[in-house]
Amino acid sequence: MTLEQDALKHFSEVSVALELQTPDMTLNIGPQHPSTHGVLRIVAQVDGERVTDVKPVIGYMHRGYEKIAEVRTYPQITALVNRIDWVSGFANEIPFMAATEKLMGIEVPERARYIRMILTEMARISSHLMFMASYPLELGATTPLMFALRERERILDLIESVTGGRFHPNFNRIGGVKPNAGAGPSQKKTVQDLPKGFLQATRDAMDELLSTCDQFDELVTGNEIFLARCKGVGIMPAALAADFGVSGPNLRASGVAFDLRTHTDYLPYDQVNFEVVTGTVGDSFDRWQVRLEEIRQAAYIVQQAVDQIPSGPLQAKVPKVIKVPKGEVYVRAENPKGEMGYYIVSEGGQGPYRLKIRSASYSNISVIPQLLEGVLVPDIIAIMGSFDFVLGDVDR
Amino acid sequence: MTTSPSDLPATDEASVELDAYAAAVADAVGALSWSTNFATVKVGVAPDAWVKSLRTAKTDLGLIFFSFLSAVHWTNKVEVGDPPAETVDERLEVLAAVGDLTEGRLVHFSTDLPIDGAALATLTGVYAGANWHEREAAEMFDIDFVGHPQLEKLYLPSEFEGHPLRKSFPLLSREVKPWPGMVDVEGMPDSAEASEESDGADAETLPSGVSTENPGR
Amino acid sequence: MGVVEKFGIPKPISSLLNWSRKYSLWMFQFGLACCAVEMIAAAGPRYDMMRFGIIPFPASPRQADLMIVAGTVTDKMAPSVRRLYDQMPDPKYVISMGSCANCGGPYWDSYSVTKGVDQIIPVDVYIPGCPPRPEALMDGIVLLQKKIQAEDMREKWMERDHQPI
Repeated sequence: MTLEQDALKHFSEVSVALELQTPDMTLNIGPQHPSTHGVLRIVAQVDGERVTDVKPVIGYMHRGYEKIAEVRTYPQITALVNRIDWVSGFANEIPFMAATEKLMGIEVPERARYIRMILTEMARISSHLMFMASYPLELGATTPLMFALRERERILDLIESVTGGRFHPNFNRIGGVKPNAGAGPSQKKTVQDLPKGFLQATRDAMDELLSTCDQFDELVTGNEIFLARCKGVGIMPAALAADFGVSGPNLRASGVAFDLRTHTDYLPYDQVNFEVVTGTVGDSFDRWQVRLEEIRQAAYIVQQAVDQIPSGPLQAKVPKVIKVPKGEVYVRAENPKGEMGYYIVSEGGQGPYRLKIRSASYSNISVIPQLLEGVLVPDIIAIMGSFDFVLGDVDR
Repeated sequence: MTTSPSDLPATDEASVELDAYAAAVADAVGALSWSTNFATVKVGVAPDAWVKSLRTAKTDLGLIFFSFLSAVHWTNKVEVGDPPAETVDERLEVLAAVGDLTEGRLVHFSTDLPIDGAALATLTGVYAGANWHEREAAEMFDIDFVGHPQLEKLYLPSEFEGHPLRKSFPLLSREVKPWPGMVDVEGMPDSAEASEESDGADAETLPSGVSTENPGR
Repeated sequence: MGVVEKFGIPKPISSLLNWSRKYSLWMFQFGLACCAVEMIAAAGPRYDMMRFGIIPFPASPRQADLMIVAGTVTDKMAPSVRRLYDQMPDPKYVISMGSCANCGGPYWDSYSVTKGVDQIIPVDVYIPGCPPRPEALMDGIVLLQKKIQAEDMREKWMERDHQPI
């Protein structure tokens, strides 16, 4: 080997070594990024394609709910809490109502409880459909978005026909639901509570929805690219999930059959049959699968509730000015995103002395740094997206 | 152990069972007090025993699910909102809710801290999920969680001053302008007292639940 | 070279330019809060705002003509909003969607919410509602298109040299 060849070989080796050497780089995603579901910022340390450390930065949507709740009355807070998890507004009202009613000792009429249950499950369906729209989009598929949004509009139409709002209904009243949408005192006796034809329209919509779920199965669940992107990605062991307070479909995807709907009596879930869906591995694919199956289960619940709904009053007797007796209560409910609860400290006034809001997404994404360590950069989005969080629910 | 008059009587089966459960938890962690008002199990422990009690709860009682950690600022001097009905000792009450994933139990552990120099040992060694909750409580209430790995601001921008959820923190927007909804309500300032007495046509036009006493809230 | 400043643009040319601009607004989706969901619904199959010439593709402000600020702007987010607005090329338009972006909305007394996005960037169209329905958003877009059609090109030309705020 001549000197020149030797030098050439040496330089090429050096340059190869230089190319392979990848110094740590900081990759900043957000706060405004199309794949972060809102204003979340992720500061990732990457070594080439590998993520070594992840720091989520939250608070871009912090609106100070717990403070402003201290200067609002209970009925005013109902309007506010709709906007915590904004894709399932109605479901957010339920635990707050249940907590207040528990403090006041009010029994909600059965019909109102059924209407609440129907609308909560519709909120769950619309929330999960939003996930069905956004998650494949993040992985590069546009068509499921159109399918899911089309179906979601159908559900929103039903919610709107009852409540008058698309997804911030503000429909619950302490002691029941809003007597009849838009009816003045003179009409109160003649106008029916659910719009005409609602029950039949709901049955039809649920049938449509179930067939769309099958379409999703064919379109997305079996898709090779989709499987490659989420099978075995972001595996969350059940013990880790419990430690971080991960709840809802994310927890169930890790194989824990824990559903607050079967443990608490805030709504008449004991009178309908449904299955608690669980996953096996706890990867991103399981989280998708659990949500898809939960849409089906929610549709079954709505179908049964529509058949069983009793007649009767919509409102319990409540005082004109709502004053909640002194006491502390925590009521939690199974929201689309997971466990949502309100810890109310009442001092006998018109507003709470302190309102602690336990939101699901906050705990759900606090586990993300643990899961993202050592994954590839494209998997950040594939894992984060599968947790289906909403920034309003994270930051409150 | 304090019961309010509106509390459900502890005669039915469920609340007797809940009482027994709360007593058993309190016994196991060596608690100072316990209560089950409104089916909310609350166990009071001393600040020194905070980490030890929660470790017992996790390992021995099966309360593996970390639900939330927060605090309540008890004081009679409030800047916004209503003060408590009775005189209270000024203190910070820290709450941690942990549950199981089989029976649907949830236990709230509580401990009282002095208002000045409030400090508590961190729970991150027991429940890793306490990390963000403690950061939140630290920035909202000014509590020092001793041993926390990264006790910096979570929600607020780094230049933010003050601790919003302390009762001494005022809401400046409320002080510089009155409730904006008032402009839409006709004749409210004068007729407020009249409508309260008559409770007739006026009250009928207000949506249910809106108070005639204090519409500005 | 000073021609536009001195004589302006002839009316037929200006209206042709305005007409072509208003039906090709590349929209930068600044989805912040609840309103973002309605914005997505407006882009979805039922409302389909692309038929108005709104193209919701750019993920970067550098290719956008229109920014829809949809949702609550917090004090922590405000610097980023301003920065992204500055990155947009002229001529640029802003729609403030929803009560929060207009004036703080239900969080009017919060300690962390900016009381109106117009405190940090100039706004062309305000859409009330909490959140506004997709129809309301489309109405706002039509209003903006009317505004663009009526624009004097010379004024717009001069405007780029000085920042309004």
